[in-house]
Amino acid sequence: MSINSATSDDDTPDGDDESGGPDEVEARVGLRYTLKQVRQDTTARIGTYIVGLMTFVAVFAAFDYYILDYAIAEAVLYNPETDPDQVRRLLPPVGMENQFGQGVLEHPLGTDHRGRDLLSRTIYGTRIAMTVGFLATAIGLGGGTVIGAVSGYYGGWIDDVLQRVTETIYAIPFLVLVIAFMTAFGRDLTFAMIGVGITAIPVFNRLIRSRVVSIREEDYVEAARAAGVKDRNIIFRHIIPNSFAPVLVQATLQVGVSILIVAGLSFLGFGAQPPTPSWGQMLSASRGYMLPAPTFSIFPGIAILITVIGFNILGDGLQDALDPRINN
Amino acid sequence: MSLLRYTLRRFAQAIPVLIGIVTITFFLANQIPGDPVEIMLGPTPAQEQVEAIRARYGLDRPIYVRYFTYLSGVATGDLGLSIYYDRPVLEMIMLRLPVTLLLMLSAFAFAIVTAIPLGVISAKRRNEPADHVSRIVSLIGVSTPSFWIGLVLIIVFAFYLGWFPARGLVLPWANPADVRGAATQLEVLRQSAHHLFLPMIALGTLQMAQITRIERSSMVDSLQGEYVKLARAYGVPESTIVRKHAFQVAQLPVITIIGLGLSTALGGAVLTETVFEIQGMGRLIITAINNQDYELIMGTTLVFGVVYVVGVILTDITYSYLDPRVTYGED
Repeated sequence: MSINSATSDDDTPDGDDESGGPDEVEARVGLRYTLKQVRQDTTARIGTYIVGLMTFVAVFAAFDYYILDYAIAEAVLYNPETDPDQVRRLLPPVGMENQFGQGVLEHPLGTDHRGRDLLSRTIYGTRIAMTVGFLATAIGLGGGTVIGAVSGYYGGWIDDVLQRVTETIYAIPFLVLVIAFMTAFGRDLTFAMIGVGITAIPVFNRLIRSRVVSIREEDYVEAARAAGVKDRNIIFRHIIPNSFAPVLVQATLQVGVSILIVAGLSFLGFGAQPPTPSWGQMLSASRGYMLPAPTFSIFPGIAILITVIGFNILGDGLQDALDPRINN
Repeated sequence: MSLLRYTLRRFAQAIPVLIGIVTITFFLANQIPGDPVEIMLGPTPAQEQVEAIRARYGLDRPIYVRYFTYLSGVATGDLGLSIYYDRPVLEMIMLRLPVTLLLMLSAFAFAIVTAIPLGVISAKRRNEPADHVSRIVSLIGVSTPSFWIGLVLIIVFAFYLGWFPARGLVLPWANPADVRGAATQLEVLRQSAHHLFLPMIALGTLQMAQITRIERSSMVDSLQGEYVKLARAYGVPESTIVRKHAFQVAQLPVITIIGLGLSTALGGAVLTETVFEIQGMGRLIITAINNQDYELIMGTTLVFGVVYVVGVILTDITYSYLDPRVTYGED
């Protein structure tokens, strides 16, 4: 995060703010300030805990062989003749009531339609969702920052062209746009991520552009320009770091939005392809079993809900924590 | 400038955006791998048959010719032929669009009717239990995927309680003869409402939550306004202040968020139609994609774009109509 370090270096007056006295002026931008505010804000803290927990689960899922075994299996195959123990361990007792393994301790949430443990698959799904959420947001943030900064800083025809193009992208309902994009280029998770990232570009573009337009005329930017600092350096070392707070809030919320869109895409069959478990695709598979196995439809949805709530609470908390009007 | 001229100018401004949408969807659709003719005729068709089909759908001409042909077609209201349905694209869309619009309108109606009281109560009783409940409801609302709400509603209200049907939709203006178990138009209306209820909630919850959040914060701001302080000082009853002074001003941001919510709702409609097996625009685009029906993909995407653009313009016009400060000036 070079932006953050640049921020703390450039904008913290007098350098040392850890042992700062009451009369010392403290910068209201930058990573250190953000962390301090988040610690003081209850909502932001709860959001941090949920996001942290989900990140932990996502990372942990990559190392747990038990989960990997169950989660990515095509189906749990067994041979009752040669391997009776395996049958007991992997497959829930087969019967009308217990077809999906509800109540069996080894499968706390039951199993799916192919006998795979639902808990393992839901946990593995966390990894997919978090990865996709973060990367799609990063694509949107990166693209939107460059376009917004260039557009806002130079103005004129460059601004006009870039803004008309992003407006057009924004004018196609984003789920429809991503579906069309994925149909053209590929139906797997990578393109889901890129597609969702592209739909997020206009959001960050608007945010950054409006910041740039207002900051462009500030004295310190004028001073930098007068001192012969290159445009690129002015944009990336002065203007963008000064937009840190609203961008961070938007990016946090965008991770949640991206997770929701990707879940929707997977539900429609665009995204992670079987047997890789994604929440949306699990929910799609569950549609045929809503009556005999409602848990199959419930738990992946709860996982989405908790994760997205985490990002939304964190985003709201950050907004409150970083909004100077509320702090005053 | 009059409201009419403002309206006309907004629609004129939308034309380049619509051309942009046509361009993007045209080139995306042509990027799709695979051959639609092969899908139609199977893997080993006769050469003459292939050529005849290609000529019929114009697939034998170079891409830029097809682009300009398509563009001029769109301008005259001709969206081409659907290869899959073997009918004009426009005809298919006209069949499906009312279904999606009905779903969308009812979802927004549900959202507005529930969200505005929730938001106002929340703002009036700030930091009291009612506020906390409303904030938690709206937080859950913005964090829940609409299709999952649909699944849960089906499990609970269709399968367990049996109160509502789990699938399909009946149009309120459908002919009673075409609707099973309906003898009169009133019966059709009743069935329509019955079918619409669950999809409406599934699609409208997100909008409801978003509008509640904006309504709350907008009302909180508005209740702190100078004019409210003045009204209080004059001894105007609190209920009148909330209803007359604060409420009207607070609705402007709400209109903006409704316009922005259209994009999400149109995407949500695709999902809701899938969950409830409703034959609307959302299912049409998925069918088009699964069958590589180029013209239908382009047509449906364009119409989704048009619905969104028109929706945004309508909210803009409503906004400028309600806000006395807007003067319809140049920009």
